[in-house]
Amino acid sequence: MAALTPYTYIQCPCSDSSTLGRSSGPNSPTGSEGDEDDRTFDPRAPRSNYSLYPLEYLLYCEDCHQIRCPRCVSEEIVTYYCPNCLFEVPSSTIKSEGNRCTRSCFQCPICIGPLAVTSVETKPDPGLLAATDNTAAPHSGPYALTCSYCNWSSTEVGIKFDKPNSIHAQLAKLRNGGTTRLTAKERKERRKDPSYRSQAAATTGSEGGAGPGKEEKLDLETQFANLKSFYQRQLADPNSADTGLASLSDLGFSSPTSLSRIMSIYTGGSLQDKKAKSRVGAMREALESDEGLQIADLDESAAIDKLQTDGHDGTASTAQLLDQIPNLGEAHLHGRSRFLSELRPIPYLLRAKRSKRCPVCRHIISKPEAKIQTTRFRIRLVAGSYIPSLAIRPLSLSSASSTSSSGASVPGALLEPLKPTHFLLTFRNPIFDTIKVTLGAPAKTPGRFPSKVTVLCPEFEIDANTDVWDEALKDSGERERERERERRARRGGFEESTTTSSSNNHNNNNNNNAQNQLEVGKIWERGRNWVSIVVEVVPPSLKLGDSTGDGGGVLREDEDVLEIPMFVRVEWESEGGGDEVAVAARDTSGGSKEAREKRELAYWCVLGLGRIRRS
Amino acid sequence: MSRRPPRGEYIETDTGNKVARKATLVGTQNIMLGGKTVIQPEVMIRGDLIRTIQASSQSASGAPPNNTAVSIGRYCFLSRGCCLRPPGRLYKGTFTYMPLRMGDHVFVGPGSVIQAASVGSHVHIGTNVVVGEFAIIKDYVRILDGTVVPPNMVIPSLSIVAGQPARLIGEVPEGGHEAFELRDLYKTVGNNPQPAPS
Repeated sequence: MAALTPYTYIQCPCSDSSTLGRSSGPNSPTGSEGDEDDRTFDPRAPRSNYSLYPLEYLLYCEDCHQIRCPRCVSEEIVTYYCPNCLFEVPSSTIKSEGNRCTRSCFQCPICIGPLAVTSVETKPDPGLLAATDNTAAPHSGPYALTCSYCNWSSTEVGIKFDKPNSIHAQLAKLRNGGTTRLTAKERKERRKDPSYRSQAAATTGSEGGAGPGKEEKLDLETQFANLKSFYQRQLADPNSADTGLASLSDLGFSSPTSLSRIMSIYTGGSLQDKKAKSRVGAMREALESDEGLQIADLDESAAIDKLQTDGHDGTASTAQLLDQIPNLGEAHLHGRSRFLSELRPIPYLLRAKRSKRCPVCRHIISKPEAKIQTTRFRIRLVAGSYIPSLAIRPLSLSSASSTSSSGASVPGALLEPLKPTHFLLTFRNPIFDTIKVTLGAPAKTPGRFPSKVTVLCPEFEIDANTDVWDEALKDSGERERERERERRARRGGFEESTTTSSSNNHNNNNNNNAQNQLEVGKIWERGRNWVSIVVEVVPPSLKLGDSTGDGGGVLREDEDVLEIPMFVRVEWESEGGGDEVAVAARDTSGGSKEAREKRELAYWCVLGLGRIRRS
Repeated sequence: MSRRPPRGEYIETDTGNKVARKATLVGTQNIMLGGKTVIQPEVMIRGDLIRTIQASSQSASGAPPNNTAVSIGRYCFLSRGCCLRPPGRLYKGTFTYMPLRMGDHVFVGPGSVIQAASVGSHVHIGTNVVVGEFAIIKDYVRILDGTVVPPNMVIPSLSIVAGQPARLIGEVPEGGHEAFELRDLYKTVGNNPQPAPS
């Protein structure tokens, strides 16, 4: 079981209506003063997974004064770039070339590692590359793409390149095995070229194949182009010569007219409608390869043989097949390539820099610099600079309290069931105004194993975050104070135990009365812009026998994680219009410009404290 | 780290570097530290693996001005047992090493081996990560524990990568940039460390 470091997730209000409405049960939130709708948030509800985010992932819209999560912002692409060569790709290229890098950036089809262009040292196959051998310099030779992670090489699929650059263009002309593949332009020229056509006809004729099985083997693109032009021709002249007489003469399958004629015989002429006849009669199906007819190759014995020799290891996984880009491979009519030996290098998918907008007011809340090399942002309104951050630390009252607390003091240690454990929540105020924080947590966490939760100080104020320069100027003093505080924190157990020793000793006698352990309503510690408070939890015993309801005897995944839903309400007064935090007035509360404006922000968050020991 | 180490475990230089006495630094004259860098015990930096081609051509002309093997920026943190090793390859028929450059605020987790050509600034490399030869890691990159970054891989800025081989699994969120700062971590080690701020 992995150790669990305490975490805080914040619920984005964009999911409020849905999640709060379907909250788990009739648990009445006792401590949630700020919660108007009297419902507690269940972190274990299936929907919660989609609304909880760590603070870093959240943005903040200054105009709506609301938290925005990755799910509710709308994104706009600023620039496209290749993640491998880090070149910017203009959007016009995206439109013409697609969303792949058209330089020499390729991923290994086996392991997705990057492929490097290397020269092939071994003597190339003279039959395949005789021409390139003559032209190439003696040192360079043909090139191949190799993966330095899994040692895959494009020579395994018979692909070699003449030049070490513009691999993408070269690869587009190569089929697996080294045979050339026609580009769209070449295909068009070839189709137009009568000499080629007659030559092709001659070759098919010389093979003696009048039957369709001996037709010219078309590749996918040519077939598509042929079919397309054929159908376009068909649509263009519906009453061409071959519709009427030819279909009558051969009565073949190819003609829809024959079908309609037969249908009309058996249905008593209902299909003899003139309009229908003329429309149906207009079309026929492709008959020859020139028109795009390709006889399906149903003979799969080769694939079966290969499967027998290579076994399962020789086949490509679903993930590998998904990475393959379509229309480039050998794949024909029946399925995609199924063997590792048919996979082709994958051109890198492009990445994009994106700016984010508030979905409500359409203001930009995050905008990166367009240049790829920089990591700066023009606009970056992160929630971390508007709402208090929350750090959780197990608190050990080692000298005074029982052994359970000392166990919890080690980060990631398991929580002992039924023993009160204390956690220190440190709220840090990022804004330049004093904020008032009100916390609300249900006395018992929702779920099958409710933990008892007591927030010892649910209401407190945090001082303003002083200016950066003040901090810098006061740095030495501040550091001194910090150090002193740290010293105090380290000896906190002792010091605090002296102040609360009476209650602690009292509490050791009767653990049930957890309320009295620490001073209720008192802040544990405070600093310049932070406040620490104590939360006491009594983890439940994870006994499975007495569980009721569905899924009884099994401990579900992460059910042993102690998660506390907590409602946080932050109130502060900001200067109207003066501060950057307070640019616009909130709702109707905005008074005169000079008056200090009251603001409030309320949200649910989830504190993950740790795992409970299974008993 | 909370336990106070015995006095003198680290050598603290004028520029604020904290180098553990138990770290293995080979070829120290070829290792450049930007300052305020922490090198924990059992770290190995192979400064002896300098570019051989350049060195041979320049040895005749006296002291080579630039044969830095490993250069490290400010506020880097090299955890216990990690290894920085300049990458090497065949160049014009002979084998040579190339310098390893590392930016500022780079955290290298325990037991990781770095053979990158360059590591940008604000990079977090987890525990037991292997960064292959001539990999290029840009700024604000987080490499999770146990990742194997294949040789020659380029990891663009603001990426989170994991897996063997490494693949992009996410992006660093806008609010996560400050988490890469290592100033506070720098203060927690050394001969008189301060505890981490809460």
